[in-house]
Amino acid sequence: MLYVDELHGFYKSRVMIFLWVGLPALAILFRFIQANATSSTISFTVISALLVSSLAGTLSAVMISVSIINEKNRHVYELFLIRPIKRRDIIIAKFLSVYTCVAIASLLAVLAGVVADLLMGSNLSMSVLNNTGQSLEISLSMIAVACSAGTLIGVGSPSVLVGAILVIYGANQISVIPLIPTLLNLQYEAAFTIGIAIFVAVILLSAAVLLFDKQQF
Amino acid sequence: MTVRRALVSLRGVSKTYGPFRALDNVSFDINEGETFGYIGPNGAGKTTTMKILVGLISDFQGEVTIDGYRLPKQKDEVHKLLGYLPQNVAFQEWRTVDQALKTFGKLSGLSDSEVEARIPEILELMDLSDVRYKKISKLSGGMTQKVGLAQALVHKPKLLVLDEPLGGLDPLSRHQFKQLVLKLGREGATILFSSHILSDVQDVADRIGILNFGKIKQIGSLNELKQRFSASRVIEVLLSFASDQWQKLGAVEGIETAEQPSPGRVLLTLQSEIAADEAVDAIVKATVKLGIRVRGITLLSPSLDEIYFNYVRESKNH
Repeated sequence: MLYVDELHGFYKSRVMIFLWVGLPALAILFRFIQANATSSTISFTVISALLVSSLAGTLSAVMISVSIINEKNRHVYELFLIRPIKRRDIIIAKFLSVYTCVAIASLLAVLAGVVADLLMGSNLSMSVLNNTGQSLEISLSMIAVACSAGTLIGVGSPSVLVGAILVIYGANQISVIPLIPTLLNLQYEAAFTIGIAIFVAVILLSAAVLLFDKQQF
Repeated sequence: MTVRRALVSLRGVSKTYGPFRALDNVSFDINEGETFGYIGPNGAGKTTTMKILVGLISDFQGEVTIDGYRLPKQKDEVHKLLGYLPQNVAFQEWRTVDQALKTFGKLSGLSDSEVEARIPEILELMDLSDVRYKKISKLSGGMTQKVGLAQALVHKPKLLVLDEPLGGLDPLSRHQFKQLVLKLGREGATILFSSHILSDVQDVADRIGILNFGKIKQIGSLNELKQRFSASRVIEVLLSFASDQWQKLGAVEGIETAEQPSPGRVLLTLQSEIAADEAVDAIVKATVKLGIRVRGITLLSPSLDEIYFNYVRESKNH
């Protein structure tokens, strides 16, 4: 119930409106760059995933941490905590709602890229579809880690300024962890990427829940 | 006389923040159906007490039970019973009044159909029907406070905890809010109402607890507090004409101090051990002996302000 409630609040927030429009626009732009570039040692799939998810991840981490810090400082949670619900539900609902919104925005961005390809007369070969899938998987994994790091920072930070600095210099860096299997060209790259993302996100979220549980309002 | 059951019970409750003792051995009961006014200056420990009662503070010493459930152990049971309006009520900025009431109603255990039926009732009660679909962040302070009370009442709680509910309200909103609290009290709600504005508490409370420096200084109905205070405190002597002789009244047995706030009006503070009637007798004899012509002698019935300031001043001196 809290998840649906939070989702209701996030999907029409200003940052989300920017992401709903901005991410697909960026994806289309990257497709154009990809179409014009011919020599590169790094796959464009990786570059485009990195750029889109880095932006979406950073914004979602900022959004979630600022939202938690603001609500904490304004004592919004008091009205929730005096009701028969678990504290962890508040934090998990917040994470899931932001992640859902940003994940859908990323999905739309990738779809926009594909549509741009089709409109430009490209053939949707198996390789293009594979690259698209890989790009999406990396994006979603990085966003999951960024959101969970943002949640932890939000719970732990006393002020929006501290939170924003920690997100930019911390969450953003941590969010590239799921990219390691791709950069190392590991076998079962997809499974490793998703596995690492889930592992890191669960650790960070657990820390956030424990910290939130200890806090006094 | 009906003996009412204690719904809330605090026994020897203490709470420290580092070296600062916010509550020191606080004990009191709130009976079922009673409106209990909790007064004290800023920093006296009112909010700490309330946060302990609503389960927001779990690490404290002493015993707290609500309807037989012990805090913090049986917090979930207690949370089903209470409605809480914090000192600075705040909602997420995107929430409308309707969304807030739906969410908090459901989180308090109401079903979808119960919430749907309850929202129009509560909006009507709080005079909020016109702003049902408006964002709370766009409402005035008074309206936001009303939404705060609405969310506290939406699930018809057994105990209503209101922490400084009139703070920041204009006089009309204060009046409306107090009328509402009185109405809820008449309907049988048990209410804990804190304020540092004494007249607010005086208007709505059946009993009053005075808190200062984390300690309960007095508990009782307004009449009981007045009796306790006036029995040993101030006698007003109105002189027929101003006379320097008034200072000699300070030397009468049982009188602690004498002061003349305005010409012809003398206030005599009694020593705590002397009975008021004995003191009046001694004052009458002294005025006759001193040749002071007196128009009247009155045992002053103090206002809540005087009682309150007396206890607050007393504890500052100790």
